Amino acid sequence: MMEGILQGVSTALSSYNIMMVIVGCFAGTFIGMLPGLGPISAIALMIPITYGMEPSSGLILIAGVYYGAIFGGSTSSILINAPGVAGTVASSFDGYPMAKAGHAGKALAIAAYSSFTGGTIAAVFLLIAAPALAQVSLSFQSSDYFALMVLGLTAVAAFAGKGKFLKAAIMTVFGLMLATVGTDSDSGLPRFTFGRLDLIDGISFLLLAMAAFALSEAMMNILDNKEQTQKEIDDLNASIGSLKISRAEIKEMAPTVARSSVLGFFVGVLPGAGATIASFLAYGMERSFASAKEKLKFGKGSVKGLAAPESANNAACSGSFVPLLTLGIPGSGTTAIILGALISYGIQPGPTMYVDNPALFWSVIISMYLGNLVLLVLNLPLIPYIAKLLTLPKKLLLPLIIFFSLIGVYLVTFNNFDIYMMTIFAVIALFIRIIDFPMAPMILGFILGGMMEDNLRRALTISDGSLAFLWERPITFTILIITVILLLMPLLGEVYDKLKKGKA
Amino acid sequence: MTKNTIGSIFFLAFSCFYFLNVFNIKKMPGNQFEVMSASTFPYYIGLAGIIISLLILIFSFVDKDGERITLNYLKTLDFKTTAYFVAAMLFYGFTIRSLGFIISTIIFLIIGFVLLKEKNMKKILLISVGVSVGFYLLLNNVLGVYIDPGMLVEYFVGEES
Repeated sequence: MMEGILQGVSTALSSYNIMMVIVGCFAGTFIGMLPGLGPISAIALMIPITYGMEPSSGLILIAGVYYGAIFGGSTSSILINAPGVAGTVASSFDGYPMAKAGHAGKALAIAAYSSFTGGTIAAVFLLIAAPALAQVSLSFQSSDYFALMVLGLTAVAAFAGKGKFLKAAIMTVFGLMLATVGTDSDSGLPRFTFGRLDLIDGISFLLLAMAAFALSEAMMNILDNKEQTQKEIDDLNASIGSLKISRAEIKEMAPTVARSSVLGFFVGVLPGAGATIASFLAYGMERSFASAKEKLKFGKGSVKGLAAPESANNAACSGSFVPLLTLGIPGSGTTAIILGALISYGIQPGPTMYVDNPALFWSVIISMYLGNLVLLVLNLPLIPYIAKLLTLPKKLLLPLIIFFSLIGVYLVTFNNFDIYMMTIFAVIALFIRIIDFPMAPMILGFILGGMMEDNLRRALTISDGSLAFLWERPITFTILIITVILLLMPLLGEVYDKLKKGKA
Repeated sequence: MTKNTIGSIFFLAFSCFYFLNVFNIKKMPGNQFEVMSASTFPYYIGLAGIIISLLILIFSFVDKDGERITLNYLKTLDFKTTAYFVAAMLFYGFTIRSLGFIISTIIFLIIGFVLLKEKNMKKILLISVGVSVGFYLLLNNVLGVYIDPGMLVEYFVGEES
């Protein structure tokens, strides 16, 4: 293990990779600050650039973009009350009132220090948890993987939020359906290609991700036709004040940051949960821990109210890498995109990655820590200047975002059919956004679809076509029991709620 | 109609279309001896799609408080500009090979800025030409990705060997 860590350190600390972390953090911060564009879009936009790089450099850049996007989302939450990312919505509850009171600099500093500490604590946890889980998962078989994927997809739907379970479930199935387009990996037979050669290789994950996120988000902005309000521009142009925080404030937020980081990490590890749930849970937890006097400050610029979601969302980001790196199963839309990128580099994450590619495995973990450091040391002091970029009018930004999305996909295949297909998918994604169905479960279903089918086929072949593997192997059975519990809880709740409403 | 009703009808139609097409997947000789054929997985997910979308549809009728898509909401949306943008994207796909990267990108960006009502023509031209030429040079000279500049550029500058 020590050897692997040292290899990882030397890979992550090469001047090129450090530059990648810095570039990733800056690009991510900028994209994450743009309202509507979250980490998934930011990562999707950067993936084509990483194709020419070493996998470790590509992944390090992507990890930097991920952290940068979360940090950028916090910045727009605090400065203009417009979270670019769902995971930073809770940061606006106290961050924006603090900024309004003339302490924007302080709010940004609290967010940065909390994020940094959250990321650091989570990186240490990741350092311990990932190899341990990778060791355990070496004993996993196809049936266990199949069950884990079912659990992952169910969890995404189960954690989608009240009243959204079925919507997330249909989006997952939609993703699974799209994953079956192309040549069947086992028999070599074409499926749903309608005689088109362009579809023989299936739908590219980058094309789908770009169309469903970056492109459709940009088009939603055009459809919404909302320019930045004068108030938002004024907020961005206002002086952010001092970035210093007092010793008393550090003392006040320290226990909050520690608690929220641990909570955030574990929530992040859970499939389907992620930064959004972690930040809300941490906010709620701190509120319930606070004294009656402190409680009154929540929502009006409380230091704890800002520190809690910020540490939790960053810790959750690191936590979400645990199932990805050790099991090869993403637990969120963002890690699904990262998995797609890894597969396109020719790397299959999972327990064998820890054994076969120790340098990559550890360099990613170490670069996460570096990413947090970059955000604190470089991004924070530059935020007043980066924030000014947000005053760029949408009429100039949107065509450029659309151009970069289209050309990013085109450059991979040089096939203009991809541009047509992307446009069609973007229109469908736009429709799905209007009717308010969640998009992340679709990309998760799409990425896991092929692997799920392969593992099911392998498990069935091993058990000679019998489904007995579902209950005969204790690991598979346990995972499936957890899946059933997860599946039934929100479903029953939803049925009960709807029937109650129907009767009333 | 509520958003859920519209969504469920869309996904029901899509799932039915998908499910029907499962039966068009060819079968290999000796398929009956295989534990899982090329159509097994799609068959079950197609079925799952139909069942889930039907459930959403039924619940959308039971739930009277579901969020509705109103005419007033639709009127606030700029469908015209979005449709023009979609056309511009398709046009970009159509021209990127025939006109080449530089010319087609300049045209696409100019159309985009004009559609979003940018009036400063100098700014439009500067950004469009700057981005397309700059990106072309970055791809070819820094990232090592060759992209066809297009016949017009080749005509004026000469074909690169």
